[in-house]
Amino acid sequence: MNDPEPAITQQKSQLAYWIFQLTGWGVITLGRFFGGITVLHLDWPRLLLELLLVNSVGLVFSHWLRDFVRRNRWRALPIRKLSWRILVVSFVCGAPLGIVTQFTYLSVLVDPELLLRDYAPALQFQLALPAAIALEIANWTAVFIVWLVLYFTAIAVREHRSAQFKQSELARALQLAELRLLKSQLNPHFLFNALNTVRSLIADNPARAQDAVTRLAKTLRYTLTSPQDELVTLSQELEIVADYLELESMRFEDRLRIEQDVPDYAAGVQIPVMLLQTLVENAIKHGIAELPSGGLLRISAVVRNVTLIVEVENPRPPAPTRTSAREGVGLHNARDRLRLLFGERASLELDLSKPAVATARLRIPLQQ
Amino acid sequence: MKAMIIDDEPPARRELRRLLTGFPWVEIVGEAGNVDQAAGMVETLSPELLFLDIQMPGGSGFDLLGRLEDVPQVIFTTAYDEHAVRAFKVDALDYLLKPIEPARLAEALGRVKSAEAARTPRPDAVLEQIFVRDGSRCWFVPLREVRLLTSEGNYIRLSWGKSQPLLGRALAALEQRLDPTRFFRANRRQIINLDFIEAVELGVNGRLHAQLRDGPEVEISRRQARLFKTKLSI
Repeated sequence: MNDPEPAITQQKSQLAYWIFQLTGWGVITLGRFFGGITVLHLDWPRLLLELLLVNSVGLVFSHWLRDFVRRNRWRALPIRKLSWRILVVSFVCGAPLGIVTQFTYLSVLVDPELLLRDYAPALQFQLALPAAIALEIANWTAVFIVWLVLYFTAIAVREHRSAQFKQSELARALQLAELRLLKSQLNPHFLFNALNTVRSLIADNPARAQDAVTRLAKTLRYTLTSPQDELVTLSQELEIVADYLELESMRFEDRLRIEQDVPDYAAGVQIPVMLLQTLVENAIKHGIAELPSGGLLRISAVVRNVTLIVEVENPRPPAPTRTSAREGVGLHNARDRLRLLFGERASLELDLSKPAVATARLRIPLQQ
Repeated sequence: MKAMIIDDEPPARRELRRLLTGFPWVEIVGEAGNVDQAAGMVETLSPELLFLDIQMPGGSGFDLLGRLEDVPQVIFTTAYDEHAVRAFKVDALDYLLKPIEPARLAEALGRVKSAEAARTPRPDAVLEQIFVRDGSRCWFVPLREVRLLTSEGNYIRLSWGKSQPLLGRALAALEQRLDPTRFFRANRRQIINLDFIEAVELGVNGRLHAQLRDGPEVEISRRQARLFKTKLSI
């Protein structure tokens, strides 16, 4: 096989091949054997011996044929080219076997007299042998034709199946890649501002600078190394959100106020990694950062109807500025990730019904 | 040189202040955390140089420049804003990426200094350059390079090089701030830059037509013709 198929599939297909080979030739042998002893009343030991010998040669020939068509990559040929090639090789294999068969006990299966009864006796005698041989050859050629047709049908079916499998595999790989991309949207604006804050703190407050570096490292590690489709508990996610918010507080100072209301029973619920973090980042970016006097960022969670509901609330500027109108990307990506991981059972909405407040509401079904 | 720092993040302002201690000729006269606050301070303190953050609450650094009558020299400071940085590729404006590299700061300040030295002393009222924002592009346009200003309602169309940016001001208001030795009111709608005049012809209607280099022919109104002749001494 030229395709790089896994060893197990190859082994399986090899086994299937031999089962078909032996069954096929076995059926032919048995059929002829019983035909020979019941209809023609032949001497069975001799018949069996000759049948076994001839059909073994047939089996060997067909096995060679398989080798031959594989080496010449016939599976890649269009049907028309394949058809006449099948005819030719079937004849090439069938001819010697047909000739041999004529000189065995089996030739009795064909009665030349019956075939040539309209001809003159002299002619009958002359034509008897060639006609019998021609018939035997045609018979064997037909056997190889059937064999090859079955062989190529099997290949076609298998290739169709593996193409389907590959397609579903591809779809899965694509999904994973998509997830990876969506998650890896590391917020460079945050990163560089945080670094700038650290630089400033090094002179102002070295202990705080050290703390900031540790928190930044934790945030980055969390963002970069957690598997794409991983679920974490709400409390794990909140830990990283706390680090992130601490860094943003250093940046915004008294412009950022934080309130958190997450009961213990909700803390253990599984959520997609980095999702709440994205919502909090959004709340900072489009809420706090857009307001000269900042405001209150509120995170709350409840479990209701076997569903976890997490809300992130932030004050919003009176008119969406140019930047916030452009960047629904974070929310859009979060929604896509949610869909890829939970399908339609989870949802994420941005509620702007309250005046001057934006609420991102996340609904996730509890895992059984 | 009087400078102002405009950035919404206190640590960022402190850090820049600290970096600027290495340049005693730069005197920081004020700090602002948003556009509204900054606009008032720039008017009263009239700094010669702004360190300006791009993303700020209640309006960007560009919004501030658009609101200022007199735009001083500007060095933008931004943590990460590809769009802004790209918008400024057309112009020789400087921007610094935060955290700011001291070497890059020195470079930028060096450019400010030489630009300042190249500037010929002028009466205070005369505008040297103008900040123009048109769609997603922004420019600092040196007025001496503008060959023609055309009034379009409450806007002014500038003919500058190959571009025709639109400025959100009335022509009459701007006229008073233009250098009178260079700019001349040709007619009710147009002001021309005398340095760009290639030829002056008398039209069949008896009016003068000034042919501008790289630009259109502008008709001089009858009322202005005499003044025009004395200006060009013809």
